[in-house]
Amino acid sequence: MSLRQKLLLLFSLTVAAAVAAVAWTVLVRIRQVFEHRDQDETALFVSQFQREFQHRSADVAGAVDRVAGQERVRSMAFEMVQSNDAAPFLNEAQTLAQDARLDFLEIVGPDGTIVSSAQWPARFGYPEPAANELTQTPFLKREELPDGTTVLGLFALRAIRGAEPAVKLVGGVRMDQSFLADLPVAPGMQIGLYSDATSQSNAGASGGVNSPAGFDAQRLVGSDGAVPGAAKYGGLIEKSRSSGQEASGILYLTPRREDSVAVTAIPLKNSAGTVLAVLTVAISRSGLVGEQQQIRAIAYGVAAGGILLAIVFSLWIAARVSRPVEELARAAEEVASGRWDARVQVRGKDEVSVLARSFNHMTEQLENQREMLVQSERVAAWRELARRLAHELKNPLFPLQLTVENLSRARQLPAAEFDEVFNESTQTLSMEIGNLKKIIGRFSDFSKMPKPELERIAAKELITRVRTLYAAASEDGPKIEIVTQLPDEPMPLMVDPELLHRALSNLVLNAKDAMPEGGTVTLSACKRESKVEIRVSDTGEGMTPEECERLFTPYYTTKQHGTGLGLAIVQSIVADHAGTIAVESSEGHGATFVITLPRADA
Amino acid sequence: MFRPFAISCLILATALSAAARTRPHYGGTLRVEIAGDPWERPAGVARRLVYDGLTQLDANGALRPALALTWEQDNNFHRWQFRLRPGVRFQDGSSLTSAAVVASLTASCNANCPWDAVKAVGPLVVFTNDSAMPNLPSLLASDEFLIALTAAADGKSAAGAIGTGPFQVTGFNNGVLTLAANENCWTGRPFADVVEIRVHRAVRDQWLDLSLGRTDVVEVPPEQFRQAQQQRFAVLTSAPVALLALQVSDAGVLANVKLRGAIAAAVDRSALYNVIFQKQGEVTASLLPQKMSGYSFLFPTDRDLNKAHELRGGLATGAITLSAVGDGTMQLAAQRIALNLREAGFNVQMAGAGTQHADIVLRKLSVAGADPSAALERILWDAGEIAPVTEQTPAALYKREQSILESGRIVPILDLPLAYASGAKVRDLHLRDDGTPDLANASLEDAR
Repeated sequence: MSLRQKLLLLFSLTVAAAVAAVAWTVLVRIRQVFEHRDQDETALFVSQFQREFQHRSADVAGAVDRVAGQERVRSMAFEMVQSNDAAPFLNEAQTLAQDARLDFLEIVGPDGTIVSSAQWPARFGYPEPAANELTQTPFLKREELPDGTTVLGLFALRAIRGAEPAVKLVGGVRMDQSFLADLPVAPGMQIGLYSDATSQSNAGASGGVNSPAGFDAQRLVGSDGAVPGAAKYGGLIEKSRSSGQEASGILYLTPRREDSVAVTAIPLKNSAGTVLAVLTVAISRSGLVGEQQQIRAIAYGVAAGGILLAIVFSLWIAARVSRPVEELARAAEEVASGRWDARVQVRGKDEVSVLARSFNHMTEQLENQREMLVQSERVAAWRELARRLAHELKNPLFPLQLTVENLSRARQLPAAEFDEVFNESTQTLSMEIGNLKKIIGRFSDFSKMPKPELERIAAKELITRVRTLYAAASEDGPKIEIVTQLPDEPMPLMVDPELLHRALSNLVLNAKDAMPEGGTVTLSACKRESKVEIRVSDTGEGMTPEECERLFTPYYTTKQHGTGLGLAIVQSIVADHAGTIAVESSEGHGATFVITLPRADA
Repeated sequence: MFRPFAISCLILATALSAAARTRPHYGGTLRVEIAGDPWERPAGVARRLVYDGLTQLDANGALRPALALTWEQDNNFHRWQFRLRPGVRFQDGSSLTSAAVVASLTASCNANCPWDAVKAVGPLVVFTNDSAMPNLPSLLASDEFLIALTAAADGKSAAGAIGTGPFQVTGFNNGVLTLAANENCWTGRPFADVVEIRVHRAVRDQWLDLSLGRTDVVEVPPEQFRQAQQQRFAVLTSAPVALLALQVSDAGVLANVKLRGAIAAAVDRSALYNVIFQKQGEVTASLLPQKMSGYSFLFPTDRDLNKAHELRGGLATGAITLSAVGDGTMQLAAQRIALNLREAGFNVQMAGAGTQHADIVLRKLSVAGADPSAALERILWDAGEIAPVTEQTPAALYKREQSILESGRIVPILDLPLAYASGAKVRDLHLRDDGTPDLANASLEDAR
């Protein structure tokens, strides 16, 4: 990954993280604010609803009060008490309830038994426990109906004035779907009533009370009938029923957040404190969620825009910051590749520009020093060449000089002796001149290394050819064994076979020279990833680290009569094939030359 | 001389005037309002005005000839032959023939008939049955066996309701059935020219119309006698003509006779009598009224909840359906009985009004005539049981009735009368033996 990419990534991540953190904080805060507002609104609605519920309770009480105050009702009560006969008034409750628009009305005689019942006319003569209530305030009661069901009602108890002992009225309205429909509700509010009182009852006429059973979603009715997602209300309703306290929560009716409602479950109790039903006030959160989603969308949009801008800005910053560094790196690469005249443009006065200036200065220094070094090396090379030439040439020149001097002195000798000396001298001269030619030829060869002509050959074949050549040659002189260690796998090479053969031959000859007492030369090859490694090992005396360091220096030799060009030629051949050569040696443990060449494609 | 003559003339004029006021007048429209259907059985107001039976019961319950002049039994009550009254014509002018009578009887009673076959043999109508029919003449006086013209003289179906009664149907508009006097009625022309029967009128509205003079005769349900009297209506009350009873199925959940006995013991008759029916009629636990049988008091009427529990023996019966045939008062009575039964441990559920297949049905059975044996057979036939009653002595009847009641299929509760109230200008209105008003013999005071 480049510096620019790293910088871009760093800047982008930093900015994105910052934007995300800000967006998250804003969203959390907004959600808290909305939820707080939602709770306040719900509490307000519930409060308004409870007031309305109390108004309805007061209406019921007022209606029963008005019935109790009617002259006709007072006369009826008076007559009932006087005659001690309640039978004639069997149907009175129905008429009175109809006039007063009450769903329930019972006239209860002085003995506490029902004289007339609007909701269940046949129940006359049975006791009405509600008549014993001491409260004047409306209360809740389960009311049995002739069809065996029970319904929940909001009741009020009033004594009819003027009759002594008291004749009472127990009147009320049914708390059902129509009751809920009459309650004013705010937009988005839905009222539900959960009651156990809709079940079939066989409790008899004495008024059995259904025991609270598990939550049954069908018993939750709203003003429009079934409450959507009634099953979801179970938890809150059960909580409210069991605790007798209000319970609130947010219900998700569908996986969509817009379909969630804030629900308050209000327990409805009778005068004994038993929870008879639970009123649910559900306020839709669709508007709230819609607003939240709108704000969230805006926040996401702003965040995305911010991040995008940040990326663009990061690109610009990264480019601006990394360009001098990249130029420096490019210049350094150029320098590394040998272009010592590489320079970078110096901009501004920051650290990077100082670095660029220093780089330029350094390359300038390096170039100067290289020039100086080249000149020094050139001088040294010339000196070395001169020394070597002098050394090489000195050896044949000395016999030549002696021979010429002998020949000159031989002129004084008799002809026969002169001829003998002359022949010997000319022979010596020829031989020494031949040596001179040979020396000059070697130098010539080194200077005229041919360009490799590549062809595909197997390393195994090449090594085998070298071993075959030198196994026969080693029969003379010390006993030297040449062995090969070659795997079966193919190791193709794209090389000039003659040059590489020459290089290996040089190494084998060097190895033989290093073992004057005899030994083993091992030729081996193996694959190393995409390369082929050829090793030439001997079991000679080995070399010191210093010798190893200077081994490939031209004209350096450890042999008495070497020119110092053999390994230099080997190195040159290997380098021409894009390979490398190294030596592994320690004193007394032989030496191993390792040639690494690129492996040809299979 | 002149003074005694003048006094005599004055006395004569006064006497003639008084006689003229008491003599019924012909003409006028008699307006009647009812809550139900005028053609319903039994006791539909229009039925007895348009149709006649082969026999009839007089006001005292005695059997009298009607369309049949004479009748005689044969083969130990297995065969009866009725000789038709000659010269009787239907309201469309066609003669009453034995074939027309047979067709009418066949049409009105194609199932559950008290006879196996009815045939026209010349002027005779002959009934035959495998079992004895000792009370067939009395049964034929029933509302169910009134004779109607089923086919016109040309063989086509008769158009509308055509009988031999004192009035004939002339129209039905806006809920008012209009009947015109049958000038050629074999019993003679009725006094009123027209009878208008407004149907399906609520009792409260009937009474209001009567108070305002917009009608002449209205119904008075038993439970509202007291109110009718308080409003100073002229109320005509019949003898008990209907037996309020529970018909209990002897199959299904109530196949056990003990359960049916428990139901009979659980019913609180006094509450029904005192409150729902406002002390009208008579509490009874027998099929025949006390006045007719003389032994009704032997059947205990008190509620015995302990006995009901004992008979039920803790048996779980499952849901029992209870329905009532009749108006709101009948429904109320049924609800009360349901409460009674629930107290006795029965799981009773109210079925809709008119449900025919309920386990228990509260209904009214007709009680007619002065002959206990015939009345009992009539009650049983009304309850869907064809069981000839041959017993004639009170002791034998008592045993028969006891065996019927012990089966628990019928639980008598109350004997109820029928009642009507009439306006001030209606004269000579009486109730027949079946409790219906005899409008044919009623007249209007200001008809002329």
